[in-house]
Amino acid sequence: MRKTLGQRIALNTVGVVVAVLFGFPTYWMLTSSIKPSGDLLSPDYDLVPLAVTFDNFASALAKPGFAVHLANSLIVTLGAVACSLVAGVLAAFPLARLRFRGRKGFLLLVLVAQMAPVEALFIPMFLLMQDAGLLNQLPSLVLVYFAITLPFTVWTLRGFVAGIPFELEEAAMVDGCGRFGAFRRVVLPLLGPGLVATSVFAFITAWNEFLYALVFMRDSDKQTLPVWLSTFKTVFGTDWGGIMAASVLYALPALVFFLIVQRKLVSGATAGALKG
Amino acid sequence: MTATAQIAVPAGSRPPAPPRAGRPRRAGFGERTVPYLLIAPAAITMLVLLGWPAIQVVGISFRKLDLGELVRGEVVWVGLDNYVSVLSDPEVWTITLRTVVFTVACVAGTVLAGLLIAVLMRHLSSKVRISVQVCLVLAWATPILATTTVFQWIFDQQYGILNKTLVKLGFDSFAGFSWFSSGASTLTVIGLLIVWQAVPFVCFTIYAGLLAAPRELYEAASMDGATAWQTFSYVSWPAIRSLVTLATFLSVIWDFKVFAQVWAIRQGGPDGESTTLPLLLYLRGIAGRHFGVASAVAVLMIIVLLALTARYLQLLLRSREADVS
Amino acid sequence: MVGIAAVALATAGCAGSGGTDNSGDEQKAGEPRTLTVWLMNGSAPQTLTDSLNKEFEQAHKGVTVKYEVQEWNGIQDKLTTALGGQNPPDVIELGNTQAPSFASERVLTDLSGDVDKLSGDQWLASLKASGEWDGKQYSTPFYAANREVIYRTDMFQQAGITAPPTSRQEWLDAIAKLKAKFGKDKQFQPLYLPGQNWYALLSFIYDEGGDIAKKDGTKFSATVNSPEAKAALEFYKQLVDASGTTAPKDNDEQNPEQAGIYGQGKVAMMIALPWEVDTAAKDHPDIKAKTSAFPIPSKNAGETAPVFQGGSNLAIPLNSKNASLAKEYLALMLSSKYQAQFAKAGMVPGASTDLSALDANPVSKAMAEASKNGKSVPATPKWATIEAGQNPLKDMLTAYLTGAKDIDAATDDANKALDAAFSG
Repeated sequence: MRKTLGQRIALNTVGVVVAVLFGFPTYWMLTSSIKPSGDLLSPDYDLVPLAVTFDNFASALAKPGFAVHLANSLIVTLGAVACSLVAGVLAAFPLARLRFRGRKGFLLLVLVAQMAPVEALFIPMFLLMQDAGLLNQLPSLVLVYFAITLPFTVWTLRGFVAGIPFELEEAAMVDGCGRFGAFRRVVLPLLGPGLVATSVFAFITAWNEFLYALVFMRDSDKQTLPVWLSTFKTVFGTDWGGIMAASVLYALPALVFFLIVQRKLVSGATAGALKG
Repeated sequence: MTATAQIAVPAGSRPPAPPRAGRPRRAGFGERTVPYLLIAPAAITMLVLLGWPAIQVVGISFRKLDLGELVRGEVVWVGLDNYVSVLSDPEVWTITLRTVVFTVACVAGTVLAGLLIAVLMRHLSSKVRISVQVCLVLAWATPILATTTVFQWIFDQQYGILNKTLVKLGFDSFAGFSWFSSGASTLTVIGLLIVWQAVPFVCFTIYAGLLAAPRELYEAASMDGATAWQTFSYVSWPAIRSLVTLATFLSVIWDFKVFAQVWAIRQGGPDGESTTLPLLLYLRGIAGRHFGVASAVAVLMIIVLLALTARYLQLLLRSREADVS
Repeated sequence: MVGIAAVALATAGCAGSGGTDNSGDEQKAGEPRTLTVWLMNGSAPQTLTDSLNKEFEQAHKGVTVKYEVQEWNGIQDKLTTALGGQNPPDVIELGNTQAPSFASERVLTDLSGDVDKLSGDQWLASLKASGEWDGKQYSTPFYAANREVIYRTDMFQQAGITAPPTSRQEWLDAIAKLKAKFGKDKQFQPLYLPGQNWYALLSFIYDEGGDIAKKDGTKFSATVNSPEAKAALEFYKQLVDASGTTAPKDNDEQNPEQAGIYGQGKVAMMIALPWEVDTAAKDHPDIKAKTSAFPIPSKNAGETAPVFQGGSNLAIPLNSKNASLAKEYLALMLSSKYQAQFAKAGMVPGASTDLSALDANPVSKAMAEASKNGKSVPATPKWATIEAGQNPLKDMLTAYLTGAKDIDAATDDANKALDAAFSG
């Protein structure tokens, strides 16, 4: 970790360049959201917006249903994240620690289960949900997003559990915890970074999903934000400024979620650093 | 070790949970069923919600299932007709090859960039690191409808900020330059869009793995005078190897299946030159509501994906890769 | 997970038993029933649907109209699952170019016997045709719109153009005059015309006496390599060259959105739908007063060119449990009272020949004038696929305009691609 000042400046400069490159399209979305819609495609050089308006935000927020759709999105997303983490942690533990028949078969299932394209899956999925009587119910979306994000969660968490020295658990068990107690007190805290990575993944995947939300949810008051976003398109044309403003609002919860969990990432890192 | 002690001590001071040893005869059975109980929620969910629909897709690929059959609930078996109609199209092999090349390029770009940025993040001051992370999260979280539009604007022929900037910098030939005039350059722009949105996931995953590597090892390596490369290959790489492999594997699956971005940019044009397999699935199957044909393309895609990832799956099954992670 | 599923199942059970299920169409009047109506976002003004639904509910005791606005994004998938599901909507709106593919799948209720009750004598010919399949009527016209030339009155005046062009020659003359007057400004375009405005091309093809395809019995065969279609393509190129438009040759009028560019004030004309003026005026409100429109001129002086008519049809899904009630709803929607409101809202009503309400505004007046000569794309179920995806007419335009192909190669290739799509 000993670096010269020059090295540090160089590295941080590269970091800034990376941030700019990755931030630029988002920046462009942001400036597009505060431009008058006539300026969205302007012959002038407008790297910095030449005129600023907040009309797009006003019209986006005034569009009916924002609050309802936001609430629906939060329910299905957080529900899916929670289910995915619980089921993922439960499965990761035996996969990494225990030997049992069918283990490799299960691992194979986890990997292969993701190969079918969504565009072909939605009809069988729809029929499945119809048979289960779950259509037009938010839990149907929770279940689907849970399933979609689960393979990655299981696989990643398994890797993190495997990376935690077994001796730590043994020590805890010697100290009087059961196997479960050792897991809860020793392994779980060390999973921090893995839980952050998988929960952010699950959050964003569920947050952005459009097709299932569209076809499962019949009533407009049960729709989620991605569907709401598409209401800016009508036969009379598309309100692009409104879409950009709405997209900014739309990306915010994911950012907030990340900022909350990334504190965990740091503390998890500390825990990870101390092991061994 | 202090952390361990702190964790372990309060645990030890609590009254011990009723030990299972109290029922020694059933312990063996319990030990054997515990793993199955623990994986049950995940296994059932995946079997019912991913496995079963996927099997249905295979079944539908042997049926004629247009909207009419779907509405009337008819089951019409047509054998291999859907496959024949898809595979007899001379374009299909070009499209398959194009999809594979496109996928490989996107995955290579994504994983390489994600890995480099993840390693870089360890060495940044916390302010710069947070800004990199915020930019990455935003790139990831921005809805597809917005990103595809923004990319089209940035690359617009007349009004795009990219061409305007290039002209300002003195590259006058970019005035009115069309980035979408050929399939190759169209796919390049689409590839950039996909990589841009996929890097954050790979990067955060790998970064989490890096953080899990014991810091003492880095310090030891640094004290031994190891070069940056040696530190990376002896300390970082073992910690992230399985995650990089996983991220690569998942990226292959996702990039191969990507539809919305490719479709939004040019609907597979010009002249069909940026058409990939998911677009073929849509054009031949979904747009005309021939779900049997769509499923046949889907099965073809699964087969190609299995071929692409066969090596990884083989390693997993045969060696102890799965055991050592 | 199991817990959640169980809870969800329990609630689903409740909803299922008390919900909108209406078994049997022959229920007695007065029993509570729900009629589910799906119209597209932007189709019918809310004031119209509000009063229509209220009137319908008052006339039918015990009936509740469940009116749900649908979004264009993903509508095909939503309709597919909804029609294939156990509880389909009772009235749906279909794009007129989509209607034949739904009719051919036999998933819509046959309305042939009800045409008279549904104001059939007033129907717009092109939409009526798109609702027919196998000699039967599966959907009814709803509303339509067509393109026209939107222009800046102030620029025309300054360039010394006294009256809107009424022939192709006058149109080209106007472009030349505008160019002479304003050409010094590098950003000025007499006519904004992107390379892939295939709606404009269709108009030119019809005007030459050609068409996209001809029907032999039940099969369509493409005719875009006919001399008429080639002449139309030549004229398109003539317009692009005369105007010197900087619009992309490899994209259409929506990317970038032409109304936004018109709004910036450096464009004298565009081939557009009437309401694009409102889009342009959103940030440049003063432009509205300086804008008028004329029908796309014909090669025959004094006539207007035939136009492609876009619009929507109304249909009743085959599995609707309230088909007869839905027919009554259609009858009310298509009655002159409500059709007149469509005209007032600036659209060509599908079931009323009274277009007088459109005359109030010069921009919609031009559309009404041209609409009498409206045509639609071939009424084949295959067209939905062509339009949803890679439209050979767009590729043909780009290939010819950029010089990638000569006119014979461009039109032959498009013809082949269309034939493949018709038979595929």
